[in-house]
Amino acid sequence: MALSSSLARLNACWRKKMRVDVAVIGGGPAGLAAAAEASKEASVVIIERNEELGGILQQCIHPGFGNFIFGEMLTGPEYATRFIEKVRAAGVDIMLETTVLEIENKKIIASGRNGIVEIEAKAIILATGCRERTRQQILIPGTRPAGIYTAGCAQRLINIDGVMPGRKVVILGSGDVGLIMARRFTLEGAEVEGVYEIMPKPGGLMRNVVQCLHDFDIPLHLRHTIIDIKGKKRVEGVVVAKVDENLKPIKGTERYVECDCVVLAVGLIPENEIAKKAGVEMDAITGGAIVDEGMETSVDGIFACGNAVHVHDLVDDVTIEAELAGKMAAKYVNGMEERKGLLKVKAGKNVRYVVPQMLRGKDIETIRFSFRVKKEMENARVVVKAGEEVIAERKERIVRPPEMVKILAEAKKIWEIRKEVMVEVEEV
Amino acid sequence: MRDVRIKKKVEKILRKYRAKANVTVEDGIVFIKGTVTSWRKYVEIGKETGRIKGVKGVVNDLEYPGKEKKRKKRGEERVIGKADVVIIGGGVVGCAIARELSKYKLNVILVEKSDDVGGGGATKANNALVHTGIGEKMGTLKQKLCVEGHKMFRKIAEELDVPYEECGMWIVISEDSIAYRLPRILKKFLASYIIPFIILRRAKKLGIEMYKVSKKELLKREPYVTEKAIAAVFSPSYAMTCPFRYTIALAENAMENGVKIMLNTEVVDITVENGNVGKVITTKGAIETKFVINAAGLYADEIASLAGAREYTIHPKKGATLIFDKETRKFLNHSMTLLRLPRIEHYKGGGIMLTVDGNVQWGPTIDEIEDKEDTSVTAEEIERIFKTYEPLMPKFPKKAVIAYFSGIRAASFTEDFIIRAAKKVKGFIHVAGIQSPGLAASPAIAKMVASILQQEGLKMELKKDFNPIRKAPPIPREMDMAERKKLVERDGRYGRIVCRCEEVTEGEIVDAIHSKIPACSIDAIKRRTRAGMGRCQGSFCLPYVAKILARELNIPLEKVKKGGDGSELFIGKAKCLLEEKNES
Ligand SMILES: Cc1cc2nc3c(=O)[nH]c(=O)nc-3n(C[C@H](O)[C@H](O)[C@H](O)COP(=O)(O)OP(=O)(O)OC[C@H]3O[C@@H](n4cnc5c(N)ncnc54)[C@H](O)[C@@H]3O)c2cc1C
Ligand SMILES: Cc1cc2nc3c(=O)[nH]c(=O)nc-3n(C[C@H](O)[C@H](O)[C@H](O)COP(=O)(O)OP(=O)(O)OC[C@H]3O[C@@H](n4cnc5c(N)ncnc54)[C@H](O)[C@@H]3O)c2cc1C
Repeated sequence: MALSSSLARLNACWRKKMRVDVAVIGGGPAGLAAAAEASKEASVVIIERNEELGGILQQCIHPGFGNFIFGEMLTGPEYATRFIEKVRAAGVDIMLETTVLEIENKKIIASGRNGIVEIEAKAIILATGCRERTRQQILIPGTRPAGIYTAGCAQRLINIDGVMPGRKVVILGSGDVGLIMARRFTLEGAEVEGVYEIMPKPGGLMRNVVQCLHDFDIPLHLRHTIIDIKGKKRVEGVVVAKVDENLKPIKGTERYVECDCVVLAVGLIPENEIAKKAGVEMDAITGGAIVDEGMETSVDGIFACGNAVHVHDLVDDVTIEAELAGKMAAKYVNGMEERKGLLKVKAGKNVRYVVPQMLRGKDIETIRFSFRVKKEMENARVVVKAGEEVIAERKERIVRPPEMVKILAEAKKIWEIRKEVMVEVEEV
Repeated sequence: MRDVRIKKKVEKILRKYRAKANVTVEDGIVFIKGTVTSWRKYVEIGKETGRIKGVKGVVNDLEYPGKEKKRKKRGEERVIGKADVVIIGGGVVGCAIARELSKYKLNVILVEKSDDVGGGGATKANNALVHTGIGEKMGTLKQKLCVEGHKMFRKIAEELDVPYEECGMWIVISEDSIAYRLPRILKKFLASYIIPFIILRRAKKLGIEMYKVSKKELLKREPYVTEKAIAAVFSPSYAMTCPFRYTIALAENAMENGVKIMLNTEVVDITVENGNVGKVITTKGAIETKFVINAAGLYADEIASLAGAREYTIHPKKGATLIFDKETRKFLNHSMTLLRLPRIEHYKGGGIMLTVDGNVQWGPTIDEIEDKEDTSVTAEEIERIFKTYEPLMPKFPKKAVIAYFSGIRAASFTEDFIIRAAKKVKGFIHVAGIQSPGLAASPAIAKMVASILQQEGLKMELKKDFNPIRKAPPIPREMDMAERKKLVERDGRYGRIVCRCEEVTEGEIVDAIHSKIPACSIDAIKRRTRAGMGRCQGSFCLPYVAKILARELNIPLEKVKKGGDGSELFIGKAKCLLEEKNES
């Protein structure tokens, strides 16, 4: 009852047809920050399919959020609450348990308990987050019993739904999500037999390797993978093996591990089904929308931010990026958007991808380039070039693929040169 | 006379494999007892025996090292019901028979050991094709019933409100088709003229519409098909359905017309009195009956042996299939297979095929296996599927796999359907060896079973009030917008999306749970609604579906199951392990 009455209140704005300046799809940290910022200059609605705002943060009950923005280590729900209060105070309309089905020429069609709603928006911000890569996508052979969960799913089950997925757990993948879940299972009294990682280096932040594995004596098996899952009704065990340079299992290194639960933390994929249907161009490497320096996509008036653009390791970066998207969407709505042209941004030496992928010469003084490196490098020099000219550079003691790198550059310089921009990382 | 000749031939086979064994042959049924040194040999002996002309069944009791001993389960002798006919097995075949018999004034009970119809065997793991019959061996019963079943399918699908789509099928003949060592020019001639000619002649004989197209035309209609194609034959009426929804609809319609369906009920014994079937003893109690229909799939041989009516042994053959993301649908307009010569016996070769839900599937493989329950998919199988079907469509995005599964074919050693009254036990009807195309043939199998019952003396009088129509529950994603809006206004639960990948709503899940045959597990809901069948494979919706199940069934969340007993999703409430530790 409590839930449905609060739902009624939150969905009070609901009408069969709505008009709004800015519609934000997704009420995670990205959607919240974007909405808060846009609401300063425009009318805003947030459409969220879950029963609560906050996105993935609601299930991340560990501390580790907001160090950069608030200078304190908040839990996920605490971090989310700060922004939920902000959007409430700003009078942003909120629709919960409402899923956007599609976007057609700035008209959003969404489905929820109250009905199917059509929202005409002058600008749209996609903040739909990401989904997890599954066991099937990485082709782990074996049977299909109960007890196989993606890490995010397991996290939700324990932290929100209050049930235990298993007693003895094998975790595949040492990204942040895998590491955090190793600790979570241990704290819940389960035995984490080990975390297995196919690559030679852990996939998550160093601080998580220490705080989640070392502090709890959980073994990390690098260059290992699961090659078989056994069990008919529930998981009974897995076969793990070492892999060679080509990531292929090495014969003779197989080992049977008894367990009743397999947790897969094997990567996140930006969620962009509706963006694709709306004709938004995608970046094949990030899996997210291609955006400009103001987070606007290839489709006029459709913006994107957060994990829907590229997977972030820190929520603070999501917030910064989303605030920019919100601000620029409001500008667009108010007819204040400027454009000087179109320049491409390229990933140069040791750079896997760069966001933004293009520049349109918007009214932004400093452009923030976010990117990931291909391989670990110590004493690195990060440079932004326009044509041959270096327009920004910075030294980094170490750059690692799991950690997003950021560098700021002056827009004015770029548009004076008006040449393709390249971000590179070199050893010094 | 014939039996003596068969016996000699079987003895020769046994010598070849150095088996220490005895053979008896009775009226075309071969019984082999003894030992061999390996499971492989056991299979080969069975298959070679099955190929002998005149053999009507092979009961292969050869022992080999490691062979699993059957343990008999205890049943409940207490009589709980009486029926004219008991159908054992609620797969597609059992359910099709149940629906057919529901047209008559009969008291029919169907018993199924798993928690759902179509949830126990091959019916939940196949390729969903309504074959035309062109791929079957000429002159077999399975071909005859497939041709007939295919012709009946559209009407039944309409009556039952289940998907049926004539998506068409290409038989592509390419440079890779002929493995024989022949001069290139001869191969090309064979591929462009002789092979299509033979296929078309067969099609004509069977009354199946088919026509030949040139490479140019093929590539125009299927731009992603291999450049190595030489010619193709097209079958426009080749169709597909949804095996789960079809089976459930058959069962629901049968129930509406008076059939009783007992789930979670395993047959453990069958009594025979004076040469007639008497009681079917199950884990829930005994049912008195005069007629038993054995549609127990992989276990049909064991069921027959309970009644002392063994006429065949079932040897399981596994088939693995890969399912691809809906985004790959654009790579083909019709299903397709690559003809390969020489052909593997009793294998249509598989291919790249569409599904009614808009995915693409590659497969299936075919392999003899020892364990009837081994539905694993191995790394080797995955690789083999890629290797086998890549030559048909080299540019297909192979990375887009979203799921894979194996199903097990219940093959007899004669490799044909065995549908007949038992030779020695009156009232016992075999419906065994129903491997592919069992789904396509199911309507015709059901008709045939009804006529056998009549021949065997069951009084069969048509009901006047048989209602062939069954309405499927609403599927919002398939409705037009205006209709969909109205539905959501009536009941908001059809607006709440639970499975985002397949756009399944809470309303559909609740409907499934409270339907005639209640879906009580995650898998049962998945088969009815597709929740969890999309690209994220339930990693998003599983907690929500589980919670709806718990709420609607009024059970604690931690008791929700993936499938049958023993497949509980969770081990307890959060903190349950900490509490355990504190106690000890
Ligand atoms: C296990 C885990 C641990 C983490 N730990 C840390 C940490 O310690 N510190 C840190 O700083 N960061 C951490 N992060 C990263 C950070 O939380 C994420 O990067 C951030 O939550 C992404 O925000 P988002 O808004 O883009 O996506 P999300 O939080 O995923 O929000 C997207 C929202 O969009 C909604 N949505 C999607 N599609 C639709 C639709 N069609 N209609 C309506 N609504 C829709 C979703 O329901 C969701 O609420 C962690 C992440 C995970 C998964
Ligand atoms: C990989 C693969 C692909 C296929 N593709 C196609 C296709 O595209 N088209 C096509 O037409 N056919 C296809 N087939 C064949 C088709 O799936 C089968 O012929 C069909 O499903 C058989 O149905 P059934 O009812 O006989 O068996 P099942 O579905 O196996 O049903 C038998 C039932 O009996 C129950 N049972 C067993 N023992 C007992 C007992 N003691 N007491 C009570 N109940 C019991 C089981 O639980 C089970 O539910 C395919 C098969 C496979 C394996």
